[in-house]
Amino acid sequence: MLSECFVASTLASAKTPTSSSLRDVGICVHELQPSATLRSTFKKSSTAPNCLAVSASHVFAAQSEKAIVHVYSREKGSQEATVPFPERIRSIAATGSKNGDIVVLGTEGGRLILWEVCTGRQIATTASHLRPVTAVVVDPTSNFILSGSADASIHVWSLVDLLSFTKSPSTHDRQTPNSPIRTFSNHRAAISAVAVGHSSGKYNIAISAAHDNTAIAWDYRTGHILRNFLLPDSPVSLALDPVDRAFYVGYEDGSVQSIDFYREKSAQHPIYDPSLQTTPAQISAEDLWLPPSADSGAALTVTVSHDGMTLLSGHDSGKVYSWNVGRRKYASTVADFTHPVTNLAMLPLGGLYEQVTSLKRVAQTLVKPRYVHSLVDTAQSSGVVPADYEFSSHLLPPSSSADTAAGLDWFMEAFSHASFPTPILERGLSELAVMDQLASTAVSTPFAGAAMDVGAPATDSQVASLEAEIAILKQKATLSDTARQATTDELTKLRSDLANLHDYINELQDKQEQSQREKFRRQACKEKREIRRREAWFAAERKGENGDTAVRRMEVEDSSDTSDIDDQSSDEQ
Amino acid sequence: MAYMLMSLRAVNHRLTNLPVRELPAIAASLAASIAECGELLSAPQSQKAGKTDSDHAVQVHKLVTRISSLLQDRTCEGRWAAVVLVKALVEAGQWEILRGSEPLVRGLMGILNKSDPASTKIMSVITLTRIFHLTYQYPTLVREITTPSLPGFVTSTLNLISAKPSSEPTRRLKSNTPYLEVVLRAYSELIARHPTTFRPFSAQMHSILQAIVGSTPRSHSRAVIDVSEQLFIALHHCAPKNTGGEEWKNACRMTIVSIHETANHVLRAVVEQWESVDPSLRQQLDHSIDYASEVGSHGTNALGLARWRGLDLGVDRLLVLLRMLSTFLKSATSSTVSIPVGSILDLTARLMSVTVPSDAGGVHQANPEISRTEREHLFTELPRIHAACMKLLHTLVKMLDTAALPVSQTILEQILWVFRAEKFNKKVRTAVYGIVHVLVKLIGPSMNKKTVSSLSDVIRICCSDILPQDVENSAKELPDAKSKSKTNSNAVNADFFLNPNLKQGRQTSASIKFPKLSRAASSLLPVILTYIPTEHLAPPIRAEIDRTIIITSDKDAMYASVLNPSPAVKGRGANISILPFLARSYPTEMDVEALIRPRMPVLTNSTGVGHYVDVEDDELEEVAVEATPASPVSTGFLRPSTTPNLQDLVASGGPNKATITTTLNKRNHLEEPGIQSALPSTITEASAGGIQIKKARFESTVSTTPAGSSYVKPEPATSTTSIQTSSVKEDTPMLDNNVSIVIEQSSSASHAATANPPPEDEDSDDEMPTLNIEPDTDEEDEE
Repeated sequence: MLSECFVASTLASAKTPTSSSLRDVGICVHELQPSATLRSTFKKSSTAPNCLAVSASHVFAAQSEKAIVHVYSREKGSQEATVPFPERIRSIAATGSKNGDIVVLGTEGGRLILWEVCTGRQIATTASHLRPVTAVVVDPTSNFILSGSADASIHVWSLVDLLSFTKSPSTHDRQTPNSPIRTFSNHRAAISAVAVGHSSGKYNIAISAAHDNTAIAWDYRTGHILRNFLLPDSPVSLALDPVDRAFYVGYEDGSVQSIDFYREKSAQHPIYDPSLQTTPAQISAEDLWLPPSADSGAALTVTVSHDGMTLLSGHDSGKVYSWNVGRRKYASTVADFTHPVTNLAMLPLGGLYEQVTSLKRVAQTLVKPRYVHSLVDTAQSSGVVPADYEFSSHLLPPSSSADTAAGLDWFMEAFSHASFPTPILERGLSELAVMDQLASTAVSTPFAGAAMDVGAPATDSQVASLEAEIAILKQKATLSDTARQATTDELTKLRSDLANLHDYINELQDKQEQSQREKFRRQACKEKREIRRREAWFAAERKGENGDTAVRRMEVEDSSDTSDIDDQSSDEQ
Repeated sequence: MAYMLMSLRAVNHRLTNLPVRELPAIAASLAASIAECGELLSAPQSQKAGKTDSDHAVQVHKLVTRISSLLQDRTCEGRWAAVVLVKALVEAGQWEILRGSEPLVRGLMGILNKSDPASTKIMSVITLTRIFHLTYQYPTLVREITTPSLPGFVTSTLNLISAKPSSEPTRRLKSNTPYLEVVLRAYSELIARHPTTFRPFSAQMHSILQAIVGSTPRSHSRAVIDVSEQLFIALHHCAPKNTGGEEWKNACRMTIVSIHETANHVLRAVVEQWESVDPSLRQQLDHSIDYASEVGSHGTNALGLARWRGLDLGVDRLLVLLRMLSTFLKSATSSTVSIPVGSILDLTARLMSVTVPSDAGGVHQANPEISRTEREHLFTELPRIHAACMKLLHTLVKMLDTAALPVSQTILEQILWVFRAEKFNKKVRTAVYGIVHVLVKLIGPSMNKKTVSSLSDVIRICCSDILPQDVENSAKELPDAKSKSKTNSNAVNADFFLNPNLKQGRQTSASIKFPKLSRAASSLLPVILTYIPTEHLAPPIRAEIDRTIIITSDKDAMYASVLNPSPAVKGRGANISILPFLARSYPTEMDVEALIRPRMPVLTNSTGVGHYVDVEDDELEEVAVEATPASPVSTGFLRPSTTPNLQDLVASGGPNKATITTTLNKRNHLEEPGIQSALPSTITEASAGGIQIKKARFESTVSTTPAGSSYVKPEPATSTTSIQTSSVKEDTPMLDNNVSIVIEQSSSASHAATANPPPEDEDSDDEMPTLNIEPDTDEEDEE
């Protein structure tokens, strides 16, 4: 849902808030639309005007009468750090597109301090202002800083030159580095507010208001005055229309006023009309937009809603009024913070699809300014980026809109498709068709290669090449088929061979067994004969004959049949 | 609903009754029908109470059961169709289907381990990844489905692409697997969301990725290497709690050190002047290099990538690592990381400090211990390395955005140094245009004159890259060809004599051959015109740009030129604007219309509903208030300066002011009666307005517009003529036909301008003061 919020900061005062939810609260995030309610609060802060800066991730609040800046994390909703500085801070601005990478601080002593919140690098300028720097703004290109001071001058600084490690060629000649490139000194009293136009082109304007009851519109790129406005009262705060059609001034008595640039129908932006540039425009006190009550106090800060149709003003009495720009009068009281409301900052609309996704990185925790020697001074003189210059940030995944713009690759297309994109399906179908034609066993391996380039658009030439490939693969498949046939034949032959061999082995084993048995039989025979011989010998001895002769006779008898058996056994073994 | 039910029933009928072998052919149409039934499938079951609703539930249930049984089908065709249908079902059904998707997930995982055709497996990997991706937003489903099955998924996909030798934590990549890219893509999609599930596999994945990234010679496609680099970086998500940022930084540092190590070997043929700003790195790299052997690294480097041999492979390795470093800057991180901006710039400073020498010898850089052939080889490879460096810087600047302000000047100097030496190379030029584009957007507005003039070389060559070559050359060639043909006719290509168009045709196609280069170049010009202070652009450069823009009719650039006119030069009369060319080229475009016939201020005029209902009164009052006190002060000195002009015009007396010289100018150039008639009308209208002012103030405001416009009419003519003169001044000898084009167009443009009343109101905020002076002062005079 679309919602619009603003951040308001207050200056501590003796009054105590009636509502307990506002006790001790210094900064409030307040919803403006759809319903005016308090969203969240940050405690323990007291800020003077122009001392609040809001980035996408953090809120920076320079404490009044102190040399410290409170840093609140918007995500966590709590105070993240208290950062001390060498001087009292009188004004603050955050820049660096959406992320707020650079915080610019204007000090009591008239110098600027630049703090790179993601690297901790800190740079101080020369004290070019003679009095405290009361207002600091940075232009939409993040290239120029405009600092207004109580000494009635406004300096224009080049942010790039201040930050750059390597100084651009011609700045070497200049006497003092880190000094302003231009000074605008047409005001005669302390500068109370500075506002800068919304253009990033070279015709952007700046508007400054000073306590001498003047507001001047000028071109900060050249220092050229565009229009001088004589105001009916002393201006305290300034805000510029989103389309730069008009600007709004908040006065000390609590009234506000819109000052239109377009007074007559003109195709050209009248602020560039040179005939009027020398003419101060007197703004009548009659068309002041009067506050609802006389005790509202000075309009310390004013800001314009996203659509430019509502003006918000923060007052000394702690009230935040909303004014109808079209009707040119007071509309309602949005909130009452008891303490003087010193700063109002509109937050970008919540709920817009674009903004959610467009951040490329987010700084979760800031790097406090470090007084590392190499980062502060020596590096600048040598013009080399030191090795320990590191940028800490959380890189976010690229937004989905960027993806669609770049065109999806095949994987993401398949990934987010309702089923599968046609090229992939077609490839699969052709694979299945090929499988049909082939023997089911030979499929899986040769076709693995075909799926390598899934997702390429199926052009005619590709189809042709694929068909050719299929033909080749078919050939290969038939080849492998015949080869397989051959191997099977061989295998059966081998099998039969193996069976034959088995048979042969069995045969041999049989034979062996047979011979073994034969051997045992012969052994038995031999023993029997031996026994017989001995018996014959003993018998002969008992008969008184010579046993030996009997034995010899028997041996001769036996030799005839044993000899052939022996031959046979020796053969076998 | 009824229609959906019907189509769902039809799907079910076909699914159950058709033979499985025929399903793949109709799978696409079935999937489309399922996708259309999304509302029905995703409707919560509990709400289906009535009779018809129960029918819904039955049909949905039938579909889901049929598909999950198909997943287990015996045939490949059935499984193939099932995978397609599961994807369609999950996409259409969202939570309702997802919560019952556990059996589907199991079936798909089964397919990964079967011997299905590659496309089935690839689609199952995608489908599973999608299911895991879709469940991520529902913690209960993550617990029930994703967390239990993800490890199995990772294991089986790792098996698809690699083999795991037992008892080792690392894996060996399978060569030539079709699944590599899809699996890696799936991992990179899932790893950031399920880091703890992937943690046990990170060592195995690391070994695979190392093999892919470090493969020499390169054996994988660019897409595979890209995704493995992304995954390599995404592995830091798997680091134990809170150490992810540290891991990322280590990997990043390691990559930088690896590049330095590789560069040590690759650049050994030259003596480097560079010295690291980081003392620790200086020590780390202080190894002596073996000059005797062939160039190559003899061991694994800091990232664990394999060794390489030969200059070509070394350069390849360098490019892969440089791309990886830019991937570091592009991919999302798990937590806050510190990007070593200083080290990256140190690295690019080193690689870009060695450039191709302008003279053939290049003696000052040469390392005497290395052969000349290797050095010359290195010099031919240098532009590729430098283009990769610049792409890295481009990524860095794009990511840091405004935070790159401190380093942008340094980067600009680095790339201009390379550009000076290597502008002959198209890749270098393309990369330079790209990075100058982003840098100018960042720091353009605060550039000073010296920085701008250092860019002039880039701008000039950029213009010549945009121009179609034949326009550039034909003017030059004509006299050349003639003189040559007389002296040495043998050397001239005979084809050109026979058919002079041949050459033109070939050259126009030549410019189409490098679409990247011409795209980068033509997107640079508008940025230069818009962001760089025009007063710092030297007039010849500006003329060159304008001429290029006109010839190519690049709308954006024409716009930028019109909206950022070059500052008025004293003694030149009117300013140069190419608005007529824009009006001629794009007469029907909305933004051209807005520029030429502005309706601004849109809101202040609204009389009907708008919020400014009662503004007019107030404004008029204010005008009155403003005018009356102002006049005594200012009229005194306003009168002499402005009013006489008008009178001079009427009487056509002796003009001596700048504004009047312009009118004179145009009168010389234009002879048509339109002017003559316009001028009297101006006067009469203005005077009439002036007279009426006292009666009705509305009238005055109305009359100023036509008065101003009629006065403006001739303006474009003068402006174009001055363009013409400037271009003539710049390159007269070769531009004969161009000039004629310009003149032709300018005269025609003046006609166009007379037809279109106020052509130059919006763009000329500053330099066209004459438009409004007369009516206004006239008005004041009357008062």
